[in-house]
Amino acid sequence: MKRLIYIAGLTLFLTGFMLLPTLGRQREPSSQQALLTDYCLSCHNDRLKTGGLTLEQLDIDHPEASPEVWEKVIRKLRAGMMPPTGLPRPDRTTYETFRRTIENAIDRTARANPNPGATPLHRMNRTEYANAIRDLLAIDVDPATILPPDDSLEGLDNLADVLGTSPALIERYIGAAAKISRLAVGNTGIQPLSVTYKVRGDVSQDEHIEGLPLGTRGGIVIRHNFPVDGEYLFKFSLLKVNFGPQYGQSAKNEQLEMSINGVRLLLMDLRSAPYYYIRGGGGGGTAPALEIRLPVKAGSQTIHVNFIKRTAAEVDDLLQPFDATTADLQTGVQYGYTTVPHLSSVEILGPYNIGGPGNTPSRARIFVCRPASQREEAACARKILSSLARRAYRRPVGDDDIAPLLAFYQKGRETGDFDAGIEMALRRILADPLFVFRFERDPENLAAGATHRVTDIELASRLSFFLWSSIPDEELLSIAEQGKLRNAAVLQQQVQRMLKDPKSQALITNFSGQWLFLRELKNRQPDLLLFADFDDNLRQAFQRETEMLFGSIVREDRNVFDLLTADYTFVNERLAKHYGIPNIYGTDFRRVTVPRPERKGLFGQGSFLLVTSAANRTSPVTRGAWILENLLGSPPPLPPPNVPPFPEAANGQGIQKIVTSVRERMEQHRANQPCKGCHQIMDPIGLTLENFDGIGRWRTEDLGSKIDTRGQHVDGTELDGVESLRASMLRYSDAFVQTMAEKLTMYATGRAAHYYDMPAIRAITREAASDGYRFSALVNAIVKSDPFQMRVKRAEETH
Amino acid sequence: MFITKKHLSRRTFLRGAGVTLALPFLESMVPAQTALKGTAALPKTRLGCFYVPHGATMYKWTPATEGKNFEMSEILSPLEKYRNHMTVVSNLRHQSATGADAGAEHARSAALFLSGASPQKNGVRVGTTVDQIAAAEIGQDTPLPSIELAIEDVSLSCGAGYGCAYFNTISWKTPTVPLPMENSPQVVFEKLFGDGGTAEQRLQRKREDRSILDSIRQQTSDLMRGLPASDRTRMDGYLDDIREIERRIRTAEAQAGANQDVPDAPVGTPETFDVHIKLMFDLLAIAYKSEITRVATLMYAKDLSPSTYPESGNRSGFHGASHHANAKSNMDNFALINKYHVSAFAYFIDKLATTPDGDGTLLDHSMILYGSSMSNGNQHDHEPLPIVLLGGAGGTLEGNRHLIASQHTPMSNLLLGMLDKLGVRKESFGDSTGPLTI
Repeated sequence: MKRLIYIAGLTLFLTGFMLLPTLGRQREPSSQQALLTDYCLSCHNDRLKTGGLTLEQLDIDHPEASPEVWEKVIRKLRAGMMPPTGLPRPDRTTYETFRRTIENAIDRTARANPNPGATPLHRMNRTEYANAIRDLLAIDVDPATILPPDDSLEGLDNLADVLGTSPALIERYIGAAAKISRLAVGNTGIQPLSVTYKVRGDVSQDEHIEGLPLGTRGGIVIRHNFPVDGEYLFKFSLLKVNFGPQYGQSAKNEQLEMSINGVRLLLMDLRSAPYYYIRGGGGGGTAPALEIRLPVKAGSQTIHVNFIKRTAAEVDDLLQPFDATTADLQTGVQYGYTTVPHLSSVEILGPYNIGGPGNTPSRARIFVCRPASQREEAACARKILSSLARRAYRRPVGDDDIAPLLAFYQKGRETGDFDAGIEMALRRILADPLFVFRFERDPENLAAGATHRVTDIELASRLSFFLWSSIPDEELLSIAEQGKLRNAAVLQQQVQRMLKDPKSQALITNFSGQWLFLRELKNRQPDLLLFADFDDNLRQAFQRETEMLFGSIVREDRNVFDLLTADYTFVNERLAKHYGIPNIYGTDFRRVTVPRPERKGLFGQGSFLLVTSAANRTSPVTRGAWILENLLGSPPPLPPPNVPPFPEAANGQGIQKIVTSVRERMEQHRANQPCKGCHQIMDPIGLTLENFDGIGRWRTEDLGSKIDTRGQHVDGTELDGVESLRASMLRYSDAFVQTMAEKLTMYATGRAAHYYDMPAIRAITREAASDGYRFSALVNAIVKSDPFQMRVKRAEETH
Repeated sequence: MFITKKHLSRRTFLRGAGVTLALPFLESMVPAQTALKGTAALPKTRLGCFYVPHGATMYKWTPATEGKNFEMSEILSPLEKYRNHMTVVSNLRHQSATGADAGAEHARSAALFLSGASPQKNGVRVGTTVDQIAAAEIGQDTPLPSIELAIEDVSLSCGAGYGCAYFNTISWKTPTVPLPMENSPQVVFEKLFGDGGTAEQRLQRKREDRSILDSIRQQTSDLMRGLPASDRTRMDGYLDDIREIERRIRTAEAQAGANQDVPDAPVGTPETFDVHIKLMFDLLAIAYKSEITRVATLMYAKDLSPSTYPESGNRSGFHGASHHANAKSNMDNFALINKYHVSAFAYFIDKLATTPDGDGTLLDHSMILYGSSMSNGNQHDHEPLPIVLLGGAGGTLEGNRHLIASQHTPMSNLLLGMLDKLGVRKESFGDSTGPLTI
């Protein structure tokens, strides 16, 4: 027995002794374990697996062993989302240290053994395709008319993961190659085509439209590509009331005006009622057709179509008209309203009586030489095609590339002239996968799993598609060809140059358009009965405002937090009236200081407030969930299945009878258990914005009850109004910047981010922090990062 | 002679034969010892699958009586004239909509309608849809194996972690390849009839396209060099696409002689739903008639669509109206939209019924599925679904019937049963438990 005790004692002693040297280092991890046990494991254990997550078997002192799970934990903690509302939390410093300790361990391991990922074979999406065509051939094409829309993932449509192919899609690329080459070369055998430009039905045309001449009202600005010198027929349609009659038919002395490149070519008196400008006449009589046939030079021309503004005086009507003049088309024919005609579309048909290919920028770009005799043709063709192919394929080209092109040139030359030969070869270039896809290759002798830096040529394309959504220009391509782009100083200088170039507008429009849902605006239609003054003019102003705010951060290289806190914004007369800003006249946008602090930054802007509302009311749930997902990177989980409908009132009349305000609705799902868990996180966030109605107007009442914006944030702090929301966003600034960095990194690398990208994204954020979170700092950090500059060679897949 | 039920589909034949223009009818295409009717070799049945989101007011959809000469329901009444070509199938459900990864019902409804499979979250994967399985069999000798049509523009921001592909299309070529749906009649026209003013010009351009495609295939090995394995797979898919386009061009060339009364190309996209959907139906009827394609899918609207249909008498947004809180007056109002949608469908059925085709009408030789993958849109039920089939399916569908399936019958059973009518034999499909006999 004694002997046994002795052995036990010795074992204890020895064990203790062996552990001793590590004790000092273990103090920190064990405090991590204590925090995990105290605050996490009571739900996230093997038995309960709350939210499908258990942390019980994981070693918190070695999170690098299972980074995929821990990254989920980090994501929740970064945004302050756990533990849930009402449960105890450690103090803020301990909370942050807990998270950072996990991050540091994962980041350390990742630094030693980075995984830069690999972007799958990337097909140019339709926006990139149109930009590439513009930069290659100097012609504007409308991406929506040449290619089908692309799928998107993570809210972005430029991620290779979902840029797949199908016969129907590739057929469109092949078809686009034929059409564009015809346009670019100026094929004089072209058949007349018709293109219709429509004015959205919900555009009010009572007032001046931006981009049109002063002293005019309504109308449309069109940028149209005329394929050759020739005659074109312009047909104008006026807006009609549902069953035939023309809108605003009783207005007198109305005149329609058209100009091309600022030169007036048409001023037409419109007949008053009962003449209808519809095909074959109708109603009281036939009016002369609204059309004109004119000779037009080849190339891209700007066309203005508008009405002459007769009077700016207030009309003394029997009934008050809506700002949205077309909200009820009956006002266009009804007694009591004074309305004026609206343009509904412009159709351009042609060419007729073709004069010649004309002198277009695209022909100047293509025909870098002109053969003086037939003997020079082959050499000239080679020169033209080499130059086009190099830019299109975005790399140096050799004989192997040119030979097939020359064969197509020959094919076209045999049945037509020199230009026809070039057109045929250009068509072949544009159809080539080397143009349509972004090829990145792995060195063949590299082992699977090893990483490598992409070539300078590949880097040049990555850079130009990131900053310009287009192909590299001559300077970038030749620097890459010389192998200089890998030099950090040269690279940074190129980034600065490219950000300054107007082509970086693509980054502003495409990134903010998708991240901040601006592209979604055009699909939102607030209920016309409730928001009768909402029209497309206002919708477009919403989009411009947020685009310009984001643009100011890019162009002025501001701190990215300004997106939430800027005390300035951009308005025109229409938007200023909507926000209650005085003394702003005209359709052009200008920078103003926000009239009240509530309007600061994104949360005070119509675009955000509209896309996060339902058609007939605000939706605090959508607003809360949107902020969690897009600004804090912590999307709420899906609603559980079979959610019962709201309880009915005893009379069977449904929810409307028992609930009045939006807030009361929200209280309902925060009272029920299956809903409560998430709604008590989302709803309080959304409710802070209740002072803004469904189209972003300031209000203090909702359906008769006073707006109440109070609530409790998941982290326990009290919320009340938009200012408190902004304060809470700044408290989780890490989450905001990292969410933006993650989105922008996905956009830059053209692929979805995975858990193994998070160390790089944190490094990008840290680097941007050291430079005051300026936008260029973020871009530079992304460009320098491993995911942007490197690839991992994946193991061969077995199918 | 050794007799088996094995037979060559035309597709297999084409693959082996390479360049073949006309499609000779070979004995080997017919399974041994089967009648010609109903084999893969000669199916003339046109398949259409039309999707309407948000469910329907079921008490106004479902006919009150079962079987032959059923009592017509309020919502289906615009189809009364075609009752002899009409099979109402009640009591079906889409079980794949519930299951472990449930929730976000609208994000998934369109994707599961014809697949009977659960869309994968945070990825792009569902299941090959019934129209594409059919197209692989009955669409391979037409210029377009299938056509995908929509009325609404695609949405870019979808929801709940599900990709937009799930919202934007009901047609999946493979479990990971969604087929984009086209809503511009002008584009649809060009797809059906080609680029160019005259028939001759269109043919010339097709020939040129073919030589370009041919030349792209020549450079394959260069393109593949140094590509990672997964990219090579992607490139393989691309080359399959190229071959598929070449095949379509050859078929179109072979058909060019056939006299087709092609209408004027429509310009732009119509402003109202009514004009828009009728134009799409006009084009589809011509495509069916001239056998440019035999398989079509169409989406009336996308899930969550706020579109309004003032002609229906209900001016509320579509999705909003479907959340009727189970209040009777709201449900009656929602039924107005349902009925209006059916009346647009009746316009198409009327076209088919008045177009001669072979020994009958196009309607005799069609099988058109119309319905939703939701039942009561208010609580996102997926059972019992509002489903109706129109057409005689080449004499295999009896019509004038209201079938009530046993409770909880998977919708996939009907889809499997429909494949059967097309002569496409499959053991199972989606979450099917066996074909529904229709």
